[in-house]
Amino acid sequence: MMDWLEEIALRDHVGIGDILGAEKIEALKTDPRLGRADRLKQIKEQLRRLRYPRLAAAEEEIRKRVQSLKLHPQIRLTVPPGLEGGRLQVEFSATSATELRALAGKLCETVASPSVAEIFGLLSGRPADENPE
Amino acid sequence: METFLPSELIVESGSESSPIYQNLRRTLPQVPVKIVEDVDSVNVDDFRHGDFFGAAKKRLYLMRHRGEFFKKCPGSDGQVCCNYFVINFASNCPMDCSYCYLQEYLQDNAALKVFSNVGDLIDEAERTLQKHRGVFFRIGTGEITDSLALEPYTGMARELIPYFAERANVLLELKTKSDCVDSLLDLDPKGRVVVAWSMNPQPVIDLEEHDTASFSERLAAARRCQDAGYRLGFHFDPMIEYEGWQADYQAMLEAIFAGVDWRRLSWLSLGVLRETPGLKRTMRRRYPQSRLLTGEQVLCPDGKMRYFQPLRVEMYRKMVEWIHRQAPTVKIYLCMESREVWRQVFGFAPACEKELGNQMAPFA
Repeated sequence: MMDWLEEIALRDHVGIGDILGAEKIEALKTDPRLGRADRLKQIKEQLRRLRYPRLAAAEEEIRKRVQSLKLHPQIRLTVPPGLEGGRLQVEFSATSATELRALAGKLCETVASPSVAEIFGLLSGRPADENPE
Repeated sequence: METFLPSELIVESGSESSPIYQNLRRTLPQVPVKIVEDVDSVNVDDFRHGDFFGAAKKRLYLMRHRGEFFKKCPGSDGQVCCNYFVINFASNCPMDCSYCYLQEYLQDNAALKVFSNVGDLIDEAERTLQKHRGVFFRIGTGEITDSLALEPYTGMARELIPYFAERANVLLELKTKSDCVDSLLDLDPKGRVVVAWSMNPQPVIDLEEHDTASFSERLAAARRCQDAGYRLGFHFDPMIEYEGWQADYQAMLEAIFAGVDWRRLSWLSLGVLRETPGLKRTMRRRYPQSRLLTGEQVLCPDGKMRYFQPLRVEMYRKMVEWIHRQAPTVKIYLCMESREVWRQVFGFAPACEKELGNQMAPFA
C-alpha cells in the first residue's frame, strides 16, 4: 500500500497526506459502521482505484455487465486478476444431468446478450460501445 | 550523443594482442590503462556503495570471455518467441536507461566489459553455422549491451560484419540507441546485416533514456546505414504510455517513414514497458522521480509487470494501424507477448516459435 501511495503522489504531484485526507478515504476512516478489517479492506480498495483508475474502471464496467446478465446463482462469470489473459471464466455446478442441461441452456441464452460481447470487447481493449463481433 | 570517456581501462593480461585493444588505445589515448593478471582482483569496493551500477559504467574492462558466446535468446516464460539467437561480445552498456533490465540482470556483475577474444567468437559461430547449414539464424548482439554504443572505441562490429556478411544462413542484427555507425559505412553487408534502432519519441528519450542519441540522431544514422546498403529494423520497445503518447508516437512514426525507405525495412517490433518487481525496486532507488513507476502495470504470469492487457492491446493496435497506414506491408511482430495478445492485436498468433522465426527469414 505504501508503494501505491508513493506512486499516486508522484503521478498526481500531491503529498501522501493529501491522498489519505481525501474525502472518500476520510469517509471510510470515520465510518462507524465499518469494523477494523472492513475499514482497512475498503481503504485498500479505494487506494487501488486511485492507483489504477483505468483498470478499476474497466473492471467496474465488466462487473456491471455481468450483473446485468442476471445469471442463475449457480453460474459464475469471472475475469482474471488485472484482466490479464483476456479470458472470461465460466463456472457452474450441477447435481444432476437435468440440472446441468438446464444450466447449460440458460448459459447459451446468456451468450446471446450484447453484454457478453461488450465484456469481451472490454477484455480486448475495445471501448464498451464498440462490438468486436 | 556525448562522447564516452571511461575513467580507466582495465585490461586482462593477454588481451593486448586483440584488435579491440589496439582500437581502444588508439581511440582513447587519454584514458589510463591498467594491465592485470586477474580482473577479479581489481578492487571494486567503490562500486558497492551508492549508485554502484551507475559507477560501474565509468570503468571499462577488456578481457577474455570464457563461456559460450552464441546462445538462444531466452525470451520470456510462456510468451511467443521469435526464435532469435544472441552473441554477447560485451556486458553492460555505457548508456543508462531508467527502465533497463540490466540493472537487475547484472546487479551482481555490473562491470562494463568488452571481450577481447573475437577470434574465439568467430570460431564458435562458424562451428554452429556449419553444423546447421539448413537452419536460418537471426543473430543479435544487443542482449546484454548496446550493439554499437562502444563501436567508435572498440571497432567490434567492424570486426564481425565481414565474417557474417559472407554467411548464407545468417542475418546479423546490430541493435542500438546510439548513432555510432561511422565505422560500418564503408563495409559491404551483402544484405546480411540489419542495423536496428530502439526508438522512442524525444520526450521519452529526454526523461528516460539517459546518455543515448537523440531521436533525430538515431534517424539520421539509420538513413546513413540504409544508404550504405544495410537493412534496417526499428524496435518500438519499450513503448511508454502517458498523457499525449498517441500524438508523440504518431509523429515519431511519420518522421521515421519520411526519413527512410520503409520498403527496405526488415522488421519492426512492438513491446510495452515491462519490468520485474525487483527491477522496479531498483528503478525506485535509482530514478525515484521517473514517471514510469506510475503506469497502470500488473504482474503477468511470466513474472513481469506490463500495462494491463486491454490497455496495452489498444496501444499495440493503434501502433499497427499508424504503421500500416504509411508502410502497408512492413513486417511487425510483438516482443515477449502471449498468444492471446497476438490474437487480440493481429487476429492470429504464430503456431510455434519456428513459424515466427521463419516469417522473418524471407526478409533476409
